[in-house]
Amino acid sequence: MQVPKERILGFLFPAGTDNWLAILRLGLGLQTTLYSISLRNDWNDLLRGGSGRDFAEALLSVESHFVPRLGWFVALGEHVALREESILTVAWICLLVAGCGLLLGFFCRFSAILAWFFHLCAAESGGFVSYGVDNFMTIGLFYLVLSPLPDRYSLDWWLRKARPKDPQLLGFWRRVVQLHLCFIYFFSGLTKSLGSGWWDGSNIWRSLIRPPFNVIDPEILVRWNYLFPVAGIFICLLEIGYPFFIWNDKTRKVWLICICGMHFAIGVTMGMYLFALIMIILNIAAFAQGLIGDSAKQLFVRRQTAHA
Amino acid sequence: MAQGPTIFPSSFKSFSQKAETAVSVALGQHLAASNAIRQAIATYLHLAGIETGYGYFAPNVQGSYKLVFELHYPDGRVEYELPSVSGAAAGLRIAGLLDKIGRTPYDPLREHLVKTLALSIWREHPEVKTIRAVFGSISLPSVSEFEHGKRESYEFLYAYDFSLQNEPAKPKDR
Repeated sequence: MQVPKERILGFLFPAGTDNWLAILRLGLGLQTTLYSISLRNDWNDLLRGGSGRDFAEALLSVESHFVPRLGWFVALGEHVALREESILTVAWICLLVAGCGLLLGFFCRFSAILAWFFHLCAAESGGFVSYGVDNFMTIGLFYLVLSPLPDRYSLDWWLRKARPKDPQLLGFWRRVVQLHLCFIYFFSGLTKSLGSGWWDGSNIWRSLIRPPFNVIDPEILVRWNYLFPVAGIFICLLEIGYPFFIWNDKTRKVWLICICGMHFAIGVTMGMYLFALIMIILNIAAFAQGLIGDSAKQLFVRRQTAHA
Repeated sequence: MAQGPTIFPSSFKSFSQKAETAVSVALGQHLAASNAIRQAIATYLHLAGIETGYGYFAPNVQGSYKLVFELHYPDGRVEYELPSVSGAAAGLRIAGLLDKIGRTPYDPLREHLVKTLALSIWREHPEVKTIRAVFGSISLPSVSEFEHGKRESYEFLYAYDFSLQNEPAKPKDR
């Protein structure tokens, strides 16, 4: 029984560098910053009381009273004669500052908590106008908050000489992100494969001509219609095969490139840039270690240190 | 699987429904809404961003929806407006909102959401007397239909009349 237990612990707590955490922090910093900037002009309109925020928050209260929401701050602001617009603007600024803080690695932990909290507030309060990108940002920021920050590329490391309190958890949280991604892709692929439209390519066509994702002129798309069944089957196999082929050293690189390529293509052909970016960030942070300049020697040294 | 058409035989649907029930029991969704365990599970799911599934564009890609506002001015003039936002990122969100409006089986929820969009139009055009919101679905052509000249078509689903006197909307279905 000892050997399986050791193997499980070895799997859950692998030795490794903090490169993946640096990628996750930088990526989520960029994502949060771009997210804030992209919604700059519409933020107040999407999240004001009369826009459906009150209703979304009321529905949220049926599920739980403890999930963060912008309504808390608006109610608080009313006590000190602050207008709803001002509160929403402050929330937007906080999110932008948190994104920039993550990018620079300045007060990493505080920035991560701030970004997770205010993004979650916006995503939950704007429940009717939120979509997949919000879920994946919450997932990424949630794991970033729990991971042992700061990483060695951050300003905290160099200027404030801050060090992570639990560096032994670096490998564990990376493993959790990896397992979560496997779960996501497997079920995403499985549900797609249940629809006949992914096998005959019609779902690819419909995805690309469906407003507001119709970035490419259908007249151009239709010339490539013989590729749609191939693309549909390829996407199903890529997603279902993800948890089986991403762990193997020989297939990981190909799978990672293909999955990131798929998200890049979705971003370009359907205009879902933020969605594409968050998925690429999560994939690279979770599985690119060892593929992008992480030396085996470094890993070995760390492992030795841990045992000593 | 439990709710929509898939490539599996229909007999598989009852199994899927049982599995769905088992999962909802495990997530405490059969407990009272005020139950502490149910609230704790729901809170964790939301905080971690895992409260929804991952079936994007699955099992099939459905058509989209369109909302057109008919603005009636006191002098008898009529103008048409679409729900508008400044940026493309917010545009994706409005499209998602229209999908939610189109797919909800609850009429009062649909009406409320349409009303929130009508209110934003009213803010931009305060002089308008009444607004009629016409909601419809967009049917997408298949590849072969497109090659034969068919283009996307608009099918009327619901219409709501709103006036400034805070009267309830008068729904006019199909």
